[in-house]
Amino acid sequence: MLLPTTTYRTTAFVEAARQIGVELTVASEQASTFEGANPAGLLTLDFKNPQRAADDVHVFARRQPIQGVVGVDDDTAIVAAFIAQRLKLKGNPTQAAEAARDKHQQRQRLADAGVPIPRFALHLLTEDSAEIAKTIPYPCVLKPLRLSASRGVIRADNPQAFIEAHGRLQAILAQPEAAACGEPAWHYLVEEFIPGYEVALEGLVVNRRLHVLAIFDKPDPLDGPFFEETIYVTPSTVPAGLQASIKDCAERAVRALGITEGPVHAELRYNENGPWLIELAARPIGGRCSAVLRFGDQKVSLEEIILRHALGMALPSLQRERPAAGVMMIPIPGAGTVQEVRGVEDAKRVPLVEDVQITAHPGERLVPFPEGSRYPGFIFARGETPSAVEAALRAAHAKLTFTLLPPPPPTSSVAPTRP
Amino acid sequence: MSQGEIRITAEPVDNHRCKFVVSQPLHATGVRRFASADEAKGSPLAEAIFAIPAGGVTEVIVSGNIVTVVKDNPAPWQAVGKAVGAAIRAAAVSGAPPVAAKAAPPSAAGAVNDDALYEQVAKVFDEQVNPMVARHGGRVELIDVQDAVVMLRMGGGCQGCGMADVTLRQGIEGMLAQFVPAVRGIVDITDHATGANPYFQASKK
Repeated sequence: MLLPTTTYRTTAFVEAARQIGVELTVASEQASTFEGANPAGLLTLDFKNPQRAADDVHVFARRQPIQGVVGVDDDTAIVAAFIAQRLKLKGNPTQAAEAARDKHQQRQRLADAGVPIPRFALHLLTEDSAEIAKTIPYPCVLKPLRLSASRGVIRADNPQAFIEAHGRLQAILAQPEAAACGEPAWHYLVEEFIPGYEVALEGLVVNRRLHVLAIFDKPDPLDGPFFEETIYVTPSTVPAGLQASIKDCAERAVRALGITEGPVHAELRYNENGPWLIELAARPIGGRCSAVLRFGDQKVSLEEIILRHALGMALPSLQRERPAAGVMMIPIPGAGTVQEVRGVEDAKRVPLVEDVQITAHPGERLVPFPEGSRYPGFIFARGETPSAVEAALRAAHAKLTFTLLPPPPPTSSVAPTRP
Repeated sequence: MSQGEIRITAEPVDNHRCKFVVSQPLHATGVRRFASADEAKGSPLAEAIFAIPAGGVTEVIVSGNIVTVVKDNPAPWQAVGKAVGAAIRAAAVSGAPPVAAKAAPPSAAGAVNDDALYEQVAKVFDEQVNPMVARHGGRVELIDVQDAVVMLRMGGGCQGCGMADVTLRQGIEGMLAQFVPAVRGIVDITDHATGANPYFQASKK
């Protein structure tokens, strides 16, 4: 298990491994204090250098055999592909994992394969934004190549808005953790804004074939200027014929990228021209959202399915359970430091609500989109219909009150200087 | 021993949790944990602490000469701490056992002794687990052993840490399996949501 120390997914995967009796070796980019005490179960890898990580695992595997490898996010999906290739395990080709990770490479491959995607152009951050602003069609969307969770994604409707968005994106990409990804932090995409209704597709690719595990509706419009996710509800209320074309669009994207095995998460929009592929990642759904997905009569978790697949174990039914289910990524209530969150117990008492998890801890600084991307928590609900689930999520959210201390005064951002 | 000779030192962990170290043992035969006033019935010390007006006490743990009190009231410990101190003194001088013995579990062939296990687990925690997690500003507190299941609570950098489950399952569990193989399981009773200083913080999608 490749678990970055910043992932939300640790508990879900560790518990799934226990459920099926799998002996885990957990690799992270920072050392566990128990690594010396449990050298077979804990490992430190350089996730920024997938080739080196694969070499290290190859050495490790001489004393502790590895039978499968799973990455949980965009970065570790690439590392998993390198390890799989080195150890001859089930996994994606490294080029496919890299293409899924890099938004520009991804769009090039999808465009070449004729998958419907927004028109796009790659720009250097250091190019004159005023000059670019004169030449592009509007509305457009500025996108960094490597950031996750819609961080830094900004819509611009006119040249002035483009120049302002460019300035914000430049400051975001100058942040140390963004700049650490190297060359990609010096580029961004300018993409045509596709109006329409957005859905998310969760899938598992088995021997090149995409199995759709769920299609989620996103009932809140994502029209910008920022693209903060809120509610995901499944099953989708999109007409069956359109769902089939959404699946077909995702399948074409999987083929175009060369993804052969493992979980995929795709964002698509549809309008009068049909479905459009907005993003596809070779990883499962993010945050704690997977908790809403349960499969078959045994209500198997998504994580168990992913582990079983990676290990070549028999897969249970991939049919999602019958009830509707949904999750709300709690919107960031503003900028500031979390002092207190009230109403959690009231929110949990809302009918159909299964859980309310506040993941922002007291004293944590919340940063709204587009600079931030960390949701302060998650609400989960399950019920007979998607509309009832959606209503329960909204009712529970209305019970929550965040008390924030004002943020510290802003410091002047320094424009990056290319080395 | 007269009431005047009892010394009590309060060691607040935060506004919700405080350890009271008493100069004499109150429950020398292991640990008792009370999660409600109902559970405290029959144990005068725990009953008195739960009865503190407006104290908001949610949990009392008595082990040897240490009384750990947890409250949901976020006020500092000054007022409630004095009342806890008075309850401890009163229980200590009353002559009656401050804490009733734990009801014996149903006997079965090969049943393990939880108190003996507690001592062994506590030793592993003190000598091995806590020095390791302390490197990340964390700590692990042994709450109880019941039916060979270890109840623990994580604090400091471990509370709310994104890798707490890795520490628990890949670290502590393995260590207990090696050194105290009679342990049947571990239950983490930490309220991770209130961890104010997690060492690793989940942030990525």
